[in-house]
Amino acid sequence: MDLTVEDLAKTIDHTVLKPEAKQSKIKQLCEEALLYKFAAVCINTTHVEYAAELLKGSSVKVCCVIGFPLGASLTQVKAMEAKEAVRLGAHEIDMVINVGALRDKNYDFVRRDIEAVVEASGNAHVKVILETGLLIDDEKRQACLLVKEAGADFVKTSTGFGPMGATPHDVRLMRETVGDAMGVKAAGGIRNFKDAIKMIEAGANRLGTSAGVAIVEDFRWLQYSDAWMQPDRPCWDCPSRHASMAKQPKEVYLWYKARCITCPHRENNVFND
Amino acid sequence: MSKQTYTNAAILRVSLTDGSIRREQISSDDFAQYLGGRGLGVKLLYENLLPGIDPLSPDNWLIFAVGPVTATSVPTAGRFVVVTKSPLTGTIFDSHAGGYFGAQLRKAGYIAVIFEGASPSPVYLWINDDEVELRDASKLWGKDTAVTTEDLLKETDSKAQVACIGPAGENQVKLAAIMTDLHRAAGRGGVGAVMGSKKLKAIVVRGTGDVAVADTDRLSDAVKHARRLIKKNPVTSKALPVYGTAVLVNITNEFGMLPTFNFQEGNFNDAVAVSGEKLLERLSVKRYNCYGCPIGCGRVSTAYGQEVGGPEYETIWAFGPQCGINDLEWIAMVNHRCNLLGVDTISVGSTIGCAMELVQKGKMKAPLKFGDTTGILDLIEDIALARGLGAELGEGSRTLAARYNAPELAMHVKGLEIPAYDPRGAQGHALGYATSNRGGCHLRSYLIGPEIMGSPVRIDRDKTEGKPDLVILFQNLSAAMDSLVVCRFTNFAWTVDDYADMAAACTGLPIDGSALLAIGERIWNLERLFNIREGLTAEDDKLPERFSTALSEGASRNRVVHLEEMLTKYYALRGWDKAGQPTKNTLKKLDIPKS
Repeated sequence: MDLTVEDLAKTIDHTVLKPEAKQSKIKQLCEEALLYKFAAVCINTTHVEYAAELLKGSSVKVCCVIGFPLGASLTQVKAMEAKEAVRLGAHEIDMVINVGALRDKNYDFVRRDIEAVVEASGNAHVKVILETGLLIDDEKRQACLLVKEAGADFVKTSTGFGPMGATPHDVRLMRETVGDAMGVKAAGGIRNFKDAIKMIEAGANRLGTSAGVAIVEDFRWLQYSDAWMQPDRPCWDCPSRHASMAKQPKEVYLWYKARCITCPHRENNVFND
Repeated sequence: MSKQTYTNAAILRVSLTDGSIRREQISSDDFAQYLGGRGLGVKLLYENLLPGIDPLSPDNWLIFAVGPVTATSVPTAGRFVVVTKSPLTGTIFDSHAGGYFGAQLRKAGYIAVIFEGASPSPVYLWINDDEVELRDASKLWGKDTAVTTEDLLKETDSKAQVACIGPAGENQVKLAAIMTDLHRAAGRGGVGAVMGSKKLKAIVVRGTGDVAVADTDRLSDAVKHARRLIKKNPVTSKALPVYGTAVLVNITNEFGMLPTFNFQEGNFNDAVAVSGEKLLERLSVKRYNCYGCPIGCGRVSTAYGQEVGGPEYETIWAFGPQCGINDLEWIAMVNHRCNLLGVDTISVGSTIGCAMELVQKGKMKAPLKFGDTTGILDLIEDIALARGLGAELGEGSRTLAARYNAPELAMHVKGLEIPAYDPRGAQGHALGYATSNRGGCHLRSYLIGPEIMGSPVRIDRDKTEGKPDLVILFQNLSAAMDSLVVCRFTNFAWTVDDYADMAAACTGLPIDGSALLAIGERIWNLERLFNIREGLTAEDDKLPERFSTALSEGASRNRVVHLEEMLTKYYALRGWDKAGQPTKNTLKKLDIPKS
């Protein structure tokens, strides 16, 4: 992959979504985003106005999360939150899909939920978080199609607060489903440049991460050795490895684990690392 | 004093035999090719020591050196390095310490002090900016490092810094360290014994000058950036400041790599009791920062009501899991005792663990038993005073185990005791141990970073593919870092380019990342040539047989080291022949004249 450090930086949504984040943290986030020319800062709505002021006139967008992190709030609330965020200066809206409705196959509701936010967001780009760790692959595909139909701009893997983060498997599946006309944002658990490159290679064109600075800085190690990119054990990146009975619905958990039984890499399924 | 650049600063040449002191300057070639610190020391020793000399004879040189970033605004740039031929390994050796000594030496206007010959009676060197003199140290001979430091500060200047030996160094014990600021040690390789052999008790330095760099604005930007990275990195901003290096106890144990019972096991059941978390809860009083260090990994603790330094991770391991001991307060006290006596805690603890296994296996009779602290404090004193059983242990584990016809029980490489990571759990780190120019060392190529801690990225610890490449990268970088003289822990936060940027700003030399690595590679190869000249061969690039047998329990069970397949590739990538010797082309490429 012919990726420059500048290209990499332009894919990153520099993210702070922790509830304890103070304004000083948001200031630091914005300063870093300006310094490294990241695509956007991704923050909670309460910080939008402050970040918009700090980033005024720059190429760095203000992205905020809506209905976060559960996606289970009222459609009207999501829409209103999005509208207000845009009014305060948000350029991008990352909303969480209604996961329960999706699993109920209540597709009309899910589509309308997204449409309402798209409409409320005006010219702002809308990304829809699927929370892939709560879904099986067929549900992820269905969700991608609904997002596309609803007129959103991106599908996004995870909140970072759910059962698992982004995996190349999910990114690939989402890219294959939505095609090239939409964006795919990988988010959750992207901690270093190797993770980032794997996501981009799988089809992501935006990365949500709180480790943006480390990713861009450490990317420079690559020029001194190709060995950093030696293939990892297949299980390391596999969502089935990250499946958790404690965090996922039982049937979702079992679906993931059933994949291990027929996996060609089963012999590598060693979990003492 | 006016601001002084690195190249204008002096190298002091002190003949202990006749008491003469001369000033020289680093040549422009040496500066460009070796920078300073370790690199300069290696170059000087390679050119000036005759092959085969006894490291404890007056023929050996003892070099204290700092680097081109020392005492500048570069974070952690207050360290110094001691370079000599080691009495423990017979190899070239560099041993490093933090504290404040290095910064004062540089501020006094010196980049290195070379000690030649041996004094007929105990002396210390007093450097008070431009004034340099050898003084009588007869009254200090026999005193521990704390008393020595206190007395010397009274005798000279309370704001001065002291690097000294304790009784172990005086007795030329091969595990003797050089101590500074009471708790910081140039610990490894018996450098304290070399100092003792020269009857040099201490160096005291008071430096008040300012240090000039080539490009102040560039350095300011580079340092700002470097500090930001340290603040962002979770290891340098959280783990090390909060827990100290002892944070590694639980991590290493979870990976089944915490050597236990002299490396017979990789899991210590009582690891939590000796962990960084427990240290914080029970003993830790405050942090200790070396000169210019924003990390502050050092600890000050209490042990039995007494304030003590440390203990560090390696020390906790050496007197803890290595010896099967789980009493953290006792370990803190042992560490304090070792500091006073001036011994290397890693090698002493490891050698005691070796002795415990010799007793366990019926090879040796001594009142030593895994898990039992009885008599160990006295034994450490005996080691430092070279008496009784202590005199045997003071030779190091290689000699001790050979004496009792069980060389396989000494966990060393090239005579230097292997530190606190079982190499079976990390193939790259294993290769780093085997190929280290100074013997069993974890710092030449700290692949624990990527293999265990995922820094900068996580790589498969069990794979051998790609490991020679990364080991070489880190060996070259560490040689360069040791020649700029900065702390190894910055490596969690900084990349090659960051070091190069600061090096270029300080020196004015056109140093980018590749150029910096080339300097490191040159140093590494020159060290290799030194060792070859001393008779070391590819046969010395090996690990104890134990690591060819799998651990039976823990997260590294069923693993062995696959050294041979990595070593062949390593030699090829280094540009060495199958016998592990640098080829003519390699030396030509690196501009190293073969002697």
